[in-house]
Amino acid sequence: MNSAYKKEIRYTLVFSVLLLICGHLGLFFVAFPAFQNKMIFGFPSQYIIPIVFGWIVLMVVVAVQAKLTNDLDDEIEALGGSSESSE
Amino acid sequence: MEYEKWALESPMLGMIFVGASFVIFYAIGWYSQQKAKSSTDYWTAGRSIGSITNGLGMASSYMSLATFMGVTALILKLKVPFVYMWIQFTLSIPLITLWYGTPLRRMGAYTPAHFVRERYGLGTSYITVVFMILIMVMYALGQMIGVAKVFEMLFGINYNVALICGGALIVGYVTIGGMYGTSYNAAFQMILMGVAFVIPLGAIMKAMGGTGWYFPPLLYSDMVPGMLEAVPDFFDMKYGFKWYLALIPCFTLGAMGLPHLGMRVYTSANLKSARGAMVWFTFFCGIVFCSTYTMGFSGVFYQATSGAGIAPTDYDKITLILNSVYNPAWVLAFVIAGAIAAGLSTISANLMAIGAMIAQDIIATIKPDLSEKTMKVIGYCAIGGGGAASILIALNPPDFLVVSILWAFGLAGVTVAPLVILGVWWKPANRYGASVACLVSGIVYIVVAPYFFKGIVIGGGLEAAVGMTGSLFCVPLTFFLHTTVSMLTERVPGLMAKIPYEEDKRLVDRIHGWPDYDDERYNSHKSGIVIAVVSALISIYAILPGGWS
Repeated sequence: MNSAYKKEIRYTLVFSVLLLICGHLGLFFVAFPAFQNKMIFGFPSQYIIPIVFGWIVLMVVVAVQAKLTNDLDDEIEALGGSSESSE
Repeated sequence: MEYEKWALESPMLGMIFVGASFVIFYAIGWYSQQKAKSSTDYWTAGRSIGSITNGLGMASSYMSLATFMGVTALILKLKVPFVYMWIQFTLSIPLITLWYGTPLRRMGAYTPAHFVRERYGLGTSYITVVFMILIMVMYALGQMIGVAKVFEMLFGINYNVALICGGALIVGYVTIGGMYGTSYNAAFQMILMGVAFVIPLGAIMKAMGGTGWYFPPLLYSDMVPGMLEAVPDFFDMKYGFKWYLALIPCFTLGAMGLPHLGMRVYTSANLKSARGAMVWFTFFCGIVFCSTYTMGFSGVFYQATSGAGIAPTDYDKITLILNSVYNPAWVLAFVIAGAIAAGLSTISANLMAIGAMIAQDIIATIKPDLSEKTMKVIGYCAIGGGGAASILIALNPPDFLVVSILWAFGLAGVTVAPLVILGVWWKPANRYGASVACLVSGIVYIVVAPYFFKGIVIGGGLEAAVGMTGSLFCVPLTFFLHTTVSMLTERVPGLMAKIPYEEDKRLVDRIHGWPDYDDERYNSHKSGIVIAVVSALISIYAILPGGWS
């Protein structure tokens, strides 16, 4: 089992978790109500944190995801695999 | 309480803006389609669309008419929980790209059904194609109804006439343009709707006294104290853990199963471009989604503080009402053109998906030796037929504009996403498991919805109507059935002899880009058992009483 395969599985699982965190912070606030109603940037925490994570933080995660998975494609390509990634 | 029904005061400007936008859509469609040299070009835009255009197109396919109309009714009803419902939609393209977009792009798929056919065989693909076409027709239906209602309001004509005329105009430009026209039009429509939504919103905020009017998506905290005074429960989370958990199978996985979103990845020039488009999608989607929350916030604030009661039947027109109150008539006309563009971009993508599935996934598999010219004619007919079906169904529409669309997300999550995810990432997934899981869970999801068999419904209220209760039960059921049936049938040599199991497994390595075949990759039975057990537990949790509020 080569390292590129392990990396592919690891990236997929890690980024899935990160993406789900960015888009589903409601679960956190409903599970831990003590974190609700703390004012951040003038908004209640349970409102503004999910919005910021659902846009700005998500963009950062997605940009890193794109970079790392592109690099992984290059790695697989170097092994002699599909060269379709940037043709 | 007596309400005065809202009506458009000066429709002429709206007609001019909408008419002009249609001329541009047709021109883009006509000009773009000249690049299509083959039926593959027609369905995938020659796999040549760059990352910014594709990112705009991805966002545009997602920004339906609901962004301008339907969701404001939901904001007034749900308040803050709406934000949670909507925010996770931005995950769709990143998750599609991560889990199956790039492997399917590498395979050269036209639609997710194309992958299902290659991976699970013709029988399973026909089952999924039927569900996918049903999902796309329901999705397009909501948009058709919305566009017809705007035309009815704008031109003062009968709903049926508005539907047939508006529908014919839309089907015409999609058919002419193919995926080239749809992609470039979608990019233009995204810019149009973004400008038409965000800039007038800034003017509304300024008129309402907001100091952060220059950046509407995030800068309205100075209105929060006023909101808390006028509507103290606006920021309450209202619902229980199960409600928020159900958003994942219903809408996050549901969006992953929508064929028209996956198809956007396949139009990319290459895989790096597809991933670049994903970043742009997140950016454009974020701006408009965050502005939607601001619009909803402003709508609730206006209703609570202005003393001008909004009739419940006008809840879905909040965006138009706020623009008519605070902005000049030409701005309202521009907003209406933006709303029409939002509806059109989604219908175009839906019709392209319907057309591709009928032409490429059904007809081309039954008659594989048809000529390029015949396939192109079939493509035109498939799109036209799908559009005509949506128009005919919309003649007698369901009551609440947005519900059928959201319910369709759940159906996609039940019948499409698990098959594709397991098919790409788990070699033991076989044709028997896929067919049984898709068919049984799809039927169960329809049966437990509140629309068909009133006595057999999981849960109740809005969460049942939009498919959240059904999805929380049925999506894990699909994973459970797919994994267990696959693992059981694998132990029956007579059944395995009937399918090209080894060839199916090789396909998995190939679409991940590996130069060689390794049986150990993506082949863990332990993972299958874990998925089956976790899925069974979630399905049981879904039907236990309580947890929704």
